[in-house]
Amino acid sequence: MTQISQMGSLLDKKVLFFGGKGGVGKTTCASATALAASHAGKRVLLVSTDPAHSTSDIFEREIGPEPVELLPNLWGLEIDGALESQRYVANVKTQIKGLFGDHILKEANKQIDLAASMPGAEEMALFDRIGGLIRGEDTRFDLIVFDTAPTGHTLRLIRMPELMEAWIRALSRSRQAMLGIEQDDKTDPVMISLTDRLEGLREFRARLLSPRVSAFMLVLVAERLPIEETARAIEQLNEAGVNVGGLVVNRILPATSPDPFLQSRHAQEVVYLDEIDRRFAKHSRVRVPQLPSDVHGVKTLEALSEMLVPLARQP
Amino acid sequence: MSVRQNIRDFFHGAAYGAYERELRMQAAELNDMFLLLCYMEVVGLPNPATLYLLDVYPYILEQFHLWHKRMGMDRSPLGNLPCC
Repeated sequence: MTQISQMGSLLDKKVLFFGGKGGVGKTTCASATALAASHAGKRVLLVSTDPAHSTSDIFEREIGPEPVELLPNLWGLEIDGALESQRYVANVKTQIKGLFGDHILKEANKQIDLAASMPGAEEMALFDRIGGLIRGEDTRFDLIVFDTAPTGHTLRLIRMPELMEAWIRALSRSRQAMLGIEQDDKTDPVMISLTDRLEGLREFRARLLSPRVSAFMLVLVAERLPIEETARAIEQLNEAGVNVGGLVVNRILPATSPDPFLQSRHAQEVVYLDEIDRRFAKHSRVRVPQLPSDVHGVKTLEALSEMLVPLARQP
Repeated sequence: MSVRQNIRDFFHGAAYGAYERELRMQAAELNDMFLLLCYMEVVGLPNPATLYLLDVYPYILEQFHLWHKRMGMDRSPLGNLPCC
C-alpha cells in the first residue's frame, strides 16, 4: 500500500479541501481525516459546502449553519447558499441602519433586496462565508476541513477570489478616477468599503494559494471517469496555483475473493490502479479498501481514519 | 470682498472658465462609469461583485438620482430600480 507520505504534515495545514467526482466518497474521506486530526489534538471544523449535505448522515445527527460540536475537538458545519445570502443581506441592513435617514434607507433597502435576489447571489454569499473561514475569522479552530461539492463547482469557487479581486479593483479604480477630480479618496465611505473588500480578498487568495496553509485532496475510485476527472482537476488546480495535497484511491476490492464476478472486477481494477500510479506518480497516493459495510456512525469512521492516516499520529 | 479677491477671481475665471464645462462633463462621465459598474445587473449584464456592493448602495443613491435628472428624466427610468 502506498501511503500518503506527508499526511502527518497535511494535518498541520490550516485548510484542507476534499474534492472529486460525485459519489467517490469525498464526505467519508473528509470526515475520517477531520476525525484523525481531532485525535491528534487539533481543534477541527468539518465544513460541508455541498448543497446536498451528507456530513449529518455520517455523524448521525443534525448539523446546521453554525458550528456544532460532534465529538471532542471536532465541530461540524453545513453551509447553505440561500441561508447565507439572507444572513448577508440582514447584516448589511443593520450595518447601514444608523448611518442614513429614513428616506434613503427605504430606497436603499429596496435596492439591496433586488440585488440579493439576482442569480449568483447565493453562490457569492457561500463564497463570502468560505472566505471568512479560510481567513481564519473563527479562531476556535486549528484546522478546517472542507467537504466540497463535486469538482466543477468547487474549482469555480477556488477561482472566485481572483475574479472578484479583479472586479473590485476595477471598481475602486473607477471610483478613484471619479473622486480625483473633486474629493479625497481616503475619507470616501465607498472607497473605504471597496478597499476593505479588496484586502479581504487578497488575504483569502494568499491563504488559499499558500502550500503551507492549504492543500487540496482529490478522492477517486479506480474507474475510467473518475481518473479522467482527477487528471483534469489537477490540471486546473495547478493552473490556479492551488497545492494538490494528494490522492485518495477509495473502495478498492479485495484480491482474495473466490467469487468469479468480484475476481473479474478486481482484474479490471488492477489495470486502473496501475494507470493511477503511472499518471499521478508525482502525487502522494493512499489506497483505501472497500469496506464490508457502509460508512456511517463514528465507529466505522474511526476504522477508516486509521487506514487513511497511518502516519498522522506518529511524532 | 476685497479688490484683490475680485482680481484673483477674474483671472481664475479667465483661465479656467473655458474648461469648466469640459471638466464638469468629464467628471459626470466618470460618475456614470462608476454607476454603471455598480448597477450592471439592472441593465442586464452579470456582475459578480453585486453582494459586495450592497453596503455601498445607500451612498450612491443620490448619484443615481443626479444621473437620471441630468439625462432629462424626472423619475427613475429603470422600473426595477426605484429612486424618486
